[in-house]
Amino acid sequence: MAVIEFDQVFKVFGTKEAVQDVTFRLEAGQAVALLGPNGAGKTTSIQMMLGLLKPTRGRVELFSHDPADPASHDRIGVVLQNVSVPERLKVKECLNLFRGFYARPKSLDELLDLGGLAEDADAMAHALSGGKTRRLQFALAMAGNPDVLFMDEPTVGMDVTSKRHFWDALRGFVSAGKTLVLTTHDLQEADLMTDRILVMNHGRIIADAPPEEIKMQFGGRQVKFSSGETGLAENMKGWPGVLDIQVAGRQLAVLTQDSDALLKRLFLDGHDIRDVEVGGGGLEEAFVRLTREDTPV
Amino acid sequence: MRALWSQWKADLLRTVRDRRFFVFTLIMPIGFYLIFIHEQRGALHIAGTFWSAYFMVSMASFGVVGASVNTLGVRLATERKSGWVRWLRTTPLSSAGYALSKIFTQLVLSLLIVVVVFLVAGLDQHVSLSAAKWIEIVLWIWIGSVPFAALGVLIGLAGNAAQVLGTLVYLALSMLGGLWTPIQVLPKTMQDIARVMPTYRYAHPAWGLLANRSIQWSDVLILLAYTVVFVALAAFIQRRMEAKPEA
Repeated sequence: MAVIEFDQVFKVFGTKEAVQDVTFRLEAGQAVALLGPNGAGKTTSIQMMLGLLKPTRGRVELFSHDPADPASHDRIGVVLQNVSVPERLKVKECLNLFRGFYARPKSLDELLDLGGLAEDADAMAHALSGGKTRRLQFALAMAGNPDVLFMDEPTVGMDVTSKRHFWDALRGFVSAGKTLVLTTHDLQEADLMTDRILVMNHGRIIADAPPEEIKMQFGGRQVKFSSGETGLAENMKGWPGVLDIQVAGRQLAVLTQDSDALLKRLFLDGHDIRDVEVGGGGLEEAFVRLTREDTPV
Repeated sequence: MRALWSQWKADLLRTVRDRRFFVFTLIMPIGFYLIFIHEQRGALHIAGTFWSAYFMVSMASFGVVGASVNTLGVRLATERKSGWVRWLRTTPLSSAGYALSKIFTQLVLSLLIVVVVFLVAGLDQHVSLSAAKWIEIVLWIWIGSVPFAALGVLIGLAGNAAQVLGTLVYLALSMLGGLWTPIQVLPKTMQDIARVMPTYRYAHPAWGLLANRSIQWSDVLILLAYTVVFVALAAFIQRRMEAKPEA
């Protein structure tokens, strides 16, 4: 069953095209990351999924309904960016407020437990520390016992320990067969938490695959060396497995799917190369490459 | 319905805990009433009634306008600025539910203000009216507050400026509309200004009821016109804001 469907969606703010021609479908039970740098269109996309923004063109559906219809929100939980909790309400009152919105809420105790807030139930929500506020936001998102959880940059500003703790909680949610949609520019997070990554840049989806495939397909390894040979970079562009070559003076940085084969050929052919370094691989490079490649010149 | 009830409970709870609300909308009108009534003597005749009753209506109106324009405006602006409104929009609580909860809360507050000011006037100045008259006046001040709630919603869109703007608008409207000083003692120009103020048109029928005059259609129509303008402006600004990305 489709949880979310985007069909040729555009969102324009004034003259800025925040989202351009985006089409995809998310199935129930998937854990999906929208990955991309700031300004890539991730938050705009998630806001359209939730009915907070209307697409300029195209169709967005949540559970095959208009996302702006509050009735379609009973089975979702949401953590947004830059949201504070209301003043003059206690933690348990905030949780009860949200519990009252949903048809089948989780119990108060369960939510306090989920957020690790049992001792703070009577504290004023507004006066909580940063870390506890984030946990309260997570507990509020879980108040309606959601089937789908949306999180916009959930771990920005969290320290490593909180992140670990948070990822564990999320993993529990995902392994129960529920659907997770998160935006992030943290690659480790996308890799750890999800089984599908949509890479966004400049408002477009430029890759849509499982994390392993993204790494394999676009990752490769980087071979750096210096060489006095003229025309070597030009020559190497046609070699099998070479994805990208950057030249800075005598320095060449070659991105390749098979660094072993590349080096073998460089040495066997007797090319004049020195100071060889091999590095990279993994999502980080894939990501840098993907987003750089798409940058308009 | 469940969602609305949950939101309303939380809104009431937050209001009860709001010190700003008590200072601005309860203590100020009661304080002014007690100060100015003793200075000017409640037994004076004005507009077919006693000053003690006339000023009781003025101060009840002043309090209700403050709660609507200032307190509500600032509260809405804060909730919007903090992203809380955006979050609520992702829950099953509808926008109508959110608005209704704010309106119901506001109505409870307005009623509370009117009743408290009237109690103080009744106890301190022995203002006495027939039961029917009390009810008529309370109902008018209560229901007639709608345009000011709409103005509060409009000011709630002003973001960081809401607090200053709300206070200015509330004090200016109260002063120019003759809630502080009866317009009968003001120069002609000030009287003309007062007559186009929503605050004057709001208190005027209640003053009239004190002197056994019935509510005039011109007052009702002008208040309705203000309501339409405030709501339309708020809707227009809201739409303009939604066309921009939210941080």
